[in-house]
Amino acid sequence: MNPSLKLGLVLIASFEIAFMQSIVANITIAALGLLYLLSKRVSLKKLLWLLLVPIIPVIGTWLSFYAHGTGDVFHSAWLLSTRIYAYIYLGGILTLTVSVEDLLGSLEQNCHIPTKFVYGTLGAFNFVPRVNQTVKQMKIAALMRGEVLHVWSPEIFFKSILVSLRWSDNLAQAMQSHGFSEYTKRSHYQTYSIPKWNWALAVILLICLQILAFGHFI
Amino acid sequence: MMNRTSSTKSTSLSYSLRDVAFIALTGIFCGAIFFGTTVSYNFLSAGLAAIGLGPFANDILLGLWMIAGPLAAMLTRKVGASTLGELLGSFVEMVLGGQWGAATLISGLIQGVGNGLGFAMAGYKHFDKLGLLLSTITGTIITFGWSMINEGYAKYNLGFLILLFVVRLISIGFFSGVLVYWINKLVEKSGILNRD
Repeated sequence: MNPSLKLGLVLIASFEIAFMQSIVANITIAALGLLYLLSKRVSLKKLLWLLLVPIIPVIGTWLSFYAHGTGDVFHSAWLLSTRIYAYIYLGGILTLTVSVEDLLGSLEQNCHIPTKFVYGTLGAFNFVPRVNQTVKQMKIAALMRGEVLHVWSPEIFFKSILVSLRWSDNLAQAMQSHGFSEYTKRSHYQTYSIPKWNWALAVILLICLQILAFGHFI
Repeated sequence: MMNRTSSTKSTSLSYSLRDVAFIALTGIFCGAIFFGTTVSYNFLSAGLAAIGLGPFANDILLGLWMIAGPLAAMLTRKVGASTLGELLGSFVEMVLGGQWGAATLISGLIQGVGNGLGFAMAGYKHFDKLGLLLSTITGTIITFGWSMINEGYAKYNLGFLILLFVVRLISIGFFSGVLVYWINKLVEKSGILNRD
């Protein structure tokens, strides 16, 4: 399915889940997401990881509604803890099957997001490994002077801003010197289209979602 | 260091390629600092979960999650920078952090709009204490409203709800308010943004 359409569907579904009051609906969405991911041959290890990672927040949510809820506390506890899994497997549909390049490329061509946002973000993404390394370096450099940089220290953010400023300057200049222009029309080697069956499937899925949302399940 | 006067000369609505890359990079840095420093999050979360106070783990750290928005607003002084910063930050988080998926984009948007509203109320003229104070208040109210629906906070009893609200206000007030103010002071003192 086209990445932009997939993003749109997942966003609509995520938004509606927030209002759904049905445990059955949450479990159905999570199960459908899981089935989709299995059919796309996402590794079992990753799927199992998705099941385990949120276990602490899930238990935390369940217990806090049980202890501090009003009304039907069991319903609230199960509703809100299964909702987390609905979000997670729904989110996985997007993040585990679509690459950043495809998503941004499709957003540019199908949703006409301005190129500076698409390529500016894409350019910044390529710095992720260096960002992680730089944060480590800053902390170690501070330790050598006997300073510990905490998450609440303004210095660590200030240094990050210095680096971001330099890199964004360099990145923009490098892109412009390679012919990037914010205003001219681009041609594309990789094109993204939305075939008719995509639209049809999207409509069917949305209808199913409304049945889940308004179907008065428990 | 290149001066950045071009971004102050142009209208505050238009973003250049460099601004976008800058905001995205700052967002990535904030994410890296968050993930690289708070190993204790899971311990905190587990400890609080065991005594039925699970949601406090989120509320205590929410201000830190939201820091990219007000930071972008203070540094670029542009209309909508807070929303853009938070949205780009959550996009980065969705792709890298992973497990919360597209729901991150929605909460990112809500957090960004919540913070941005404060700067908007000040007419985009107060990128100072007043702007940050207003953005703390609007940010807390709007994200809390979303939590009432999305995380089911509406189903908690009133005492618990008030406590959650106060904790969130303090967290956002400190991280997205006071800390951003300190950072901005360092930036202004260094003169790297070449603003008048």
